[in-house]
Amino acid sequence: MPANVTRMNIALTALLAMELVASAQDKKAPTQRPQTLYQKLMAAPNTGGPAPRRDLAGSWTGPLTPMYVDKPPLTQAGEKLFKMNTPDPFSPSSNDPWGVCDPFGFPRSATTETRGISFAQMPGRTVIMTQYGRIWRTVWMDGRELPKNVGAKGGPDTTWYGYSVGHWDGDYTFVVNTTGLDDKTWIDRRGYPHSTDLRVEERYTRVDHDTLDLTLTIDDPKVYSKPFVLAKSRFKWIPSQEDEEQMCVPSEAIEYRKLIVVPADQDQAKDKK
Amino acid sequence: MKPCFLILLAFFMVCVPVFAHHGNTAYDTSKVVVLKGATVTKYVWANPHVIITFDVKDDKGNVQHWSAEAGTPQTVILAGWSKTSVAPGDVITVYIFQAKTGNPVGRLNKIVLADGTELKDSALGYRETEGEGKQ
Repeated sequence: MPANVTRMNIALTALLAMELVASAQDKKAPTQRPQTLYQKLMAAPNTGGPAPRRDLAGSWTGPLTPMYVDKPPLTQAGEKLFKMNTPDPFSPSSNDPWGVCDPFGFPRSATTETRGISFAQMPGRTVIMTQYGRIWRTVWMDGRELPKNVGAKGGPDTTWYGYSVGHWDGDYTFVVNTTGLDDKTWIDRRGYPHSTDLRVEERYTRVDHDTLDLTLTIDDPKVYSKPFVLAKSRFKWIPSQEDEEQMCVPSEAIEYRKLIVVPADQDQAKDKK
Repeated sequence: MKPCFLILLAFFMVCVPVFAHHGNTAYDTSKVVVLKGATVTKYVWANPHVIITFDVKDDKGNVQHWSAEAGTPQTVILAGWSKTSVAPGDVITVYIFQAKTGNPVGRLNKIVLADGTELKDSALGYRETEGEGKQ
């Protein structure tokens, strides 16, 4: 009998201890960094079934930064341009146009802050919308060709997002070709430059209902010795189809620079190391 | 080729958010500075990063004006923050990694509101740091 009581006491004490530990854990703030929707969807099994035929319409979430693939094969002229660019908008010496909220332009809009992207199909065109900065690009699908002599006298002007045409390669890969891009922009946050001769190919392959893979290829003979794959990204279908508002606001960027970037002076910290 | 792509993708998912924004080289992340009785003067819910400015009295009673940054709104939302979490006049406790320059500026580890609510930074709030909580 005493042995039984002891055993019961031990069991009760153990139970109580377990409950105390459990309640202490409940009260404690979580120690794991919460996952983004993108991280959760990448880890979850796909439930949407097969990809619909020739259809990307809807909203997708992507990574903050894509996976860079080839080392950009800079020409001599390209090397010179690249050296003029100092990346990291969080450092006071950076000349990243993003630091003052210049438009990303294309293809920067497809390589930086790609947390959200949407496709809308309209008569004769597809519109690609980017969450960050609420960017809108028209991709013509009515059979027209890309303009020639962009930027030359008498030709159409270069623009931040250029001129785009698209077609389907099979039933699941949407191919977009873009030209006429203003050379004020960088192609990614690492500071790689481009000329107005830049041509970009985007290949969006819908792997299944929930998964969309992008491959970005750069062709710009003045700046890069051969065409190369700049980046790949995987996008996931957003179950709720809701997106967020993300804006780069010049007055807020100026305030951030004044209050944080300059007094913290990352460059000075780097020099000290 | 394909498994390699997936592995790299997984690597980037895990690693990129950590150094995606600031390299944080500007901050001394080896110790957390604890500032009690901080009076919020401004709360900026904006890109690229959320900012809180606040006043704290030092040992001699002099008021110091501090600026602190946390993650981007899209990421601190996941840690329980919102545009209305903090307002000017609130008295909070600030846990901060100060700039190596010695200026009163830094990256937050976390803040504790008057009602005890703890709001961690999206990046450095989830890092086990030696000396966290020490004054």
